[in-house]
Amino acid sequence: MSPWLAERRDLAAQSNALLPVPTLTDEHWRFTSLRGIDFDAFQPVAAPAPGEIAGAILADGDHAGRVVVRDGGAVVDELSEAVTAQGVAFGSIRRLAEERPELVEPLLGTIVGYDEKFAAENGALWTDGVLLHVPAGVRVAEPFHVAYEIATEGAAQQWRALIVVEEGAEATIVEEHLTGLPGYANGVAEVVVGAAGHLTYVVVQDRGDAALHFAAHRAEIAKDGLLDWVACSTGARTGKTRMETRLTGEGATGRLSGVYVVDDKRHLDLDTTQEHDAPNAVSDLAFKGVLLDEARSVWRGVIRVAAGAQGTDSYQENRNLLLSPKARADSIPGLEIDTNDVRCTHGATAGPVDPMLRFYLMSRGVPEAEANRVIVEGFLEEALERIPDERIRTALTEHVMRRIPS
Amino acid sequence: MADLVIRNLHATIAGTDTEILKGIDLEMSRGEIHAIMGPNGSGKSTLSHVLMGHPGYEVTAGEVTFMGEDLLELEADERSRAGLFLSFQYPFAVPGVTVANFIRMAVNAHRKGGPDGEDDPIRIPEFRKQLQEAMELLAIDKSMSSRSLNDGFSGGEKKRFEILQMAMLKPKIAILDETDSGLDIDALRIVSGGINQLVGPDMGALIITHYQRILDHVKPDRIHVLMDGRIVRSGGPELAYELETSGYAGITEEVSA
Ligand SMILES: Nc1ncnc2c1ncn2[C@@H]1O[C@H](COP(=O)(O)OP(=O)(O)OP(=O)(O)O)[C@@H](O)[C@H]1O
Ligand SMILES: [Mg+2]
Repeated sequence: MSPWLAERRDLAAQSNALLPVPTLTDEHWRFTSLRGIDFDAFQPVAAPAPGEIAGAILADGDHAGRVVVRDGGAVVDELSEAVTAQGVAFGSIRRLAEERPELVEPLLGTIVGYDEKFAAENGALWTDGVLLHVPAGVRVAEPFHVAYEIATEGAAQQWRALIVVEEGAEATIVEEHLTGLPGYANGVAEVVVGAAGHLTYVVVQDRGDAALHFAAHRAEIAKDGLLDWVACSTGARTGKTRMETRLTGEGATGRLSGVYVVDDKRHLDLDTTQEHDAPNAVSDLAFKGVLLDEARSVWRGVIRVAAGAQGTDSYQENRNLLLSPKARADSIPGLEIDTNDVRCTHGATAGPVDPMLRFYLMSRGVPEAEANRVIVEGFLEEALERIPDERIRTALTEHVMRRIPS
Repeated sequence: MADLVIRNLHATIAGTDTEILKGIDLEMSRGEIHAIMGPNGSGKSTLSHVLMGHPGYEVTAGEVTFMGEDLLELEADERSRAGLFLSFQYPFAVPGVTVANFIRMAVNAHRKGGPDGEDDPIRIPEFRKQLQEAMELLAIDKSMSSRSLNDGFSGGEKKRFEILQMAMLKPKIAILDETDSGLDIDALRIVSGGINQLVGPDMGALIITHYQRILDHVKPDRIHVLMDGRIVRSGGPELAYELETSGYAGITEEVSA
């Protein structure tokens, strides 16, 4: 291992050793209990079985490159020749940290630090994941596809991603966390959108019924850059995802869309930030959730506007449909504003399907069950319609609607 | 027997003792146009909702037959498929569902005839053609069909889209609850023209209104005055003119006398 990487792992390990496992008294963990989880029961699996994946939602069609990380390592690591010729680097981050350290060393661990328990643990223990580096001015039309899968029961998967779209570059990356065996996943994704760059980042969390899923995704967007970020969650027993956006350059835009359908006794916790550190930036967050059975969701979102970030335009909304009396959704919006001349708005709701709206549909001849589905789909559509790529939009719509009983 | 027969219909707000409909009697058939007029809060919309199967009301007495069937036994969707239609006084927005998709879903639900029926979806080109014709009839701009139904629509636009749905579903009896309010003068003429074209041997209309104006375009055979949950007077078209000049005061006296 390169000395710089060993050093960084050391730093993270030291932090990890000092940080306790969070409890309900920690502000960010008020609604998500980790009690009773035996983290030591999950062990890294170093040598994964090779082969193709099953159960991916967005793997069909042409891709600029594909990586499959199974348990602890990449089992598929491909980049198309055309995209290689464009100067794009994409593939296993374990491999590329050795082969192209100049792309990894300057950024790894600088966007998501080691001051939080799970991020620190990941910084010390990550085994593989993805690097995407799109050089300035390069535009890649086809999406990159990444899948993370737990294929060994009880495996701990520590994945790591670094995604960089340089000045004026454009790319789409799809990241799927797949259904698989019971296990523990903990990951960190660091995302950089350069000046006037444009990244579409689609994250699907569809881990297995008994899986634990922890992730910290953090993006920085430079001047006039655009990040179109779509998060879709349907899986895991307990999941906690940080999804943080920092607008570092004037005129940057973050469009943050979330769709989740949570059933059974799943617990999904989403922690978002919209950090405005530059003037005249725009962030627009819309998360829509459907809760079934005894499922529970927590969304905690904060808009932070630094002094000097005049002209900020920031919006956040979280709306939830409760399809069962035992389902529950908590929304905790927050504003921290240190400047004048900003426009920040938020909204949060949770409730059952409006019986009057259902009556309206039924009065047109539509049976009750179908009316409910149409209302749910229409409700989610308002977030799904923000997905720029039609193929991805259609596949995700079908995926989430499969979770709605008919 | 008439197509729609309402006898001594009583209804309360569900879960309460508050009675809104206090014994309604009315009969009508396809090919007829009836109008219901009456003061605000007299129970006109409640009657339309109860007939359509609104979950917020409870029928406590009386009976309703529709095409010879016990209407009150049917769910709202079954009533629609049996041929009853309600143009809502306050139509609902259906976010995320376009006008075209909404109406196609309704048309297909009618063709299927129920959850256990056989799927018989209308072919898309045929549907497009029908929709376009109906939109032309009602002078609705084509581009509107790809918007979410009633989402951000103006009051008048919503009313036009209710009638558009009626035109596509071809009911036997259509209840039009204040379809005229909110329509501008030109729109009223266009929508009335549409209603006139649809009323005939296959369709009758029950028009709830406050104004004589729509009745100048769509000529009623009978006019009923609904006050405090009861039909207190019925008569020919001339009754509307009488109400226009003397209001409901005279009628109140007649009732209490
Ligand atoms: N769900 C309800 N909850 C409480 N009151 C109700 C409800 N539905 C109807 N009412 C009351 O019943 C009465 C009749 O209402 P309805 O809407 O049928 O009147 P309307 O004749 O249609 O009036 P308008 O001409 O203003 O449209 C009103 O006093 C109304 O407030
Ligand atoms: Mg009314």
